[in-house]
Amino acid sequence: MKTRRIVVPLAAGCLALAACSGGGDDDTAGTGPEAAGWHDEIEGGPLEVGVLSAEGTPGLGILRELADGLQADYEGTDVTLTFANTDARPGIEQRWRSGDPLDVDYGMFDGTNPALTVWADDGALLDLRPYLEQDDPDTGEPWLDRFSPAVLEFMENPSDGGIYGVPSELSLHVLFYNAGLFTELGIEPPRTWDDLLAANTALQAGGVDPIAVTGLFEPYMGMWSDHLWLRTVGYDKARAVLTGGEGHITEDPGFLEGLEMLQQLRDDDAFLTGFEGTDFTAAQAQFFQGDAGMILMGSWLVSEMADVIPADFELGVVAFPTVEGGAGDQGAVMAAPQVISIAAESEHIPLALEWARRLTSVETQTRRAEEIGEVSAVADVPSPPGIPGIDQVIADAESLEPRDYGITQSPAMEVIYPEIARLLFGEQDAQQTLERLDEGLRRVHGN
Amino acid sequence: MHRAAQRRIIIPFLLPALLLLGVFFLYPLVRTVDISFTEWTRTGSSSYVGVENYTRLFDDPGYVNALKNAFLFTLVGGCMLFPVAIAIAWALNQRIHGERFFRFVVFAPVVLSAAVVALMWKFVYHPTLGLINPALEGLGLGALARTWLGDASTALPAVAFTTVWHGIGIWVVLLSAGFERLPPDVLEAGRIDGAGEWRLFRSVMLPMMRDLFRILVVLWIVQSMQAFAFVFIMTNGGPYGSTDIVGTLMYRVAFERYEFGYAAAMGVALVVIMLVVTQIVNKVMKRDELQY
Repeated sequence: MKTRRIVVPLAAGCLALAACSGGGDDDTAGTGPEAAGWHDEIEGGPLEVGVLSAEGTPGLGILRELADGLQADYEGTDVTLTFANTDARPGIEQRWRSGDPLDVDYGMFDGTNPALTVWADDGALLDLRPYLEQDDPDTGEPWLDRFSPAVLEFMENPSDGGIYGVPSELSLHVLFYNAGLFTELGIEPPRTWDDLLAANTALQAGGVDPIAVTGLFEPYMGMWSDHLWLRTVGYDKARAVLTGGEGHITEDPGFLEGLEMLQQLRDDDAFLTGFEGTDFTAAQAQFFQGDAGMILMGSWLVSEMADVIPADFELGVVAFPTVEGGAGDQGAVMAAPQVISIAAESEHIPLALEWARRLTSVETQTRRAEEIGEVSAVADVPSPPGIPGIDQVIADAESLEPRDYGITQSPAMEVIYPEIARLLFGEQDAQQTLERLDEGLRRVHGN
Repeated sequence: MHRAAQRRIIIPFLLPALLLLGVFFLYPLVRTVDISFTEWTRTGSSSYVGVENYTRLFDDPGYVNALKNAFLFTLVGGCMLFPVAIAIAWALNQRIHGERFFRFVVFAPVVLSAAVVALMWKFVYHPTLGLINPALEGLGLGALARTWLGDASTALPAVAFTTVWHGIGIWVVLLSAGFERLPPDVLEAGRIDGAGEWRLFRSVMLPMMRDLFRILVVLWIVQSMQAFAFVFIMTNGGPYGSTDIVGTLMYRVAFERYEFGYAAAMGVALVVIMLVVTQIVNKVMKRDELQY
């Protein structure tokens, strides 16, 4: 009886709390200031901005200077830079769900990925189109015209035509190679699959593992199958099958062809010795230490590893090799713009817009390219000098396709990359991988 | 009259603890059960789906695999932990020279954060740049070298070993307290009867500490079945799910796939499974009170 007297009210209280907290608040306004005069409405105030640069990096230094400039120009402004990388996303997205979003944030929108248009569809993000269409006070041209047309599909929501994000940088997936080593061994940069196989042989003859890859982060192993399928199947078809649940992976021979090419790399011992137990940071460091000749990675590699790149290291980049006779997209490059969005609920929307405008200015983007090696999605910004060859990759790209087909944010993630890991680890061959992929994809897509 | 007055005094003392228990344990538990009957969107809208999340659970090969790995982790980690912890606690109870130093060495890892320890061991296990494989090769045992975290057969034991290495100090302290509480007259009687230290340990100390072992085993099961940090940082469930446990799977389902209701159902099912397992272990290891 005594116990009941305590437990019953306590449980009732808990249930009441639970009932009160359910559901979340859908009352998002989605309105900002008048587009025509938004710049005149900027007032100082607190502004919380998501950033991807870690503490102590030169990238964060540039953003701090940007924040200082905003604080100096608008009295009462107090900019807080909040680290918003992949690991921080769960906590930050929980803040969005609970009605306490960052004013400016990364990772909230990608027009090419249905999993990342939901915030815009639910009215949590500000439609930037009206503001982007206004003339920029610095250039006299519409703000929108700054951006490369190739990234517009990432900025625009297909469902309503609104623009819910602007790219602060562009990550391209490219094949990095040790240019000094290649010159020394007389190897041509691999532009085709046959070039890549020839480079592997030559590197092995020179006592160097051909390709650095991590075995402890499956999506990075999956970058190889992603790119091979881009060449042997094509982006639209591969995306439809892998994450769209349209059709089956056994129906297009390009999938098996890509897996067989991957198996060939494995059978040729093309990957870094002990890659299975090597973390991605270590794999990247080993590439720069000359333990491996090539690494397939995003263009963020150079800024991320700046501290460990030897001063005399000669870097080169090429697009992922083309596959002769492949039925897919031979000129496409996989890309991921880092898009910033503005919370519709922000109390300082004009200030947030000004942050986005300054961050995407040619001046800031040029600094970021030159000082930290970021590739820009803004026109007239030079390619980063620390990534020789990236300008050629951009110039030659017939299209920019969203990286990973949206796999990492879909239930297919639990199926695809583990099976690719099994293939690379020698647990199964290409045909068995295809069969297991087929079985798993049918299960998760229910088709 | 006296009792009623006592009760009135007790309640204010209990209230802070009850409040904390309610806010940090009961409320999250009730809320988790509540969420497990719903389906959520990424932006936070939810709808009631009844028991659908629970019916999905045991047809999900990912969850079954994670449960299997969680049990394996508990078993393998327990086998690594208890014999060594008992041996160390016994040794430290022998009043050996430099006992304080050894206590410090054994306890030191406990004060390191799990993230630091996990990253450190990740590099120790590195196949070519780490410490283990080069050491094995140096000793002429190169055939034993593995890719450790990259090998489906060694990854789970490797992570379990790291977890045990990090936390063994606490278990040694608990077991040491158990050894110290053994009645000295009983041990003395054993010695007078001619029992050696090993015989004394095996036939007197261990049986007398059986209740303590039972509690510690239950605690280990509860702790290890909920393991998360070491697996998340060292392997994130890989290679190909061989170290995936319920904690890491729940995290991915909730925060990468945004299926909060399904993740909550996984958590609730784990609580029920743990309650059942600990009850069984409790019953199996329980015995009549020892009279001495």
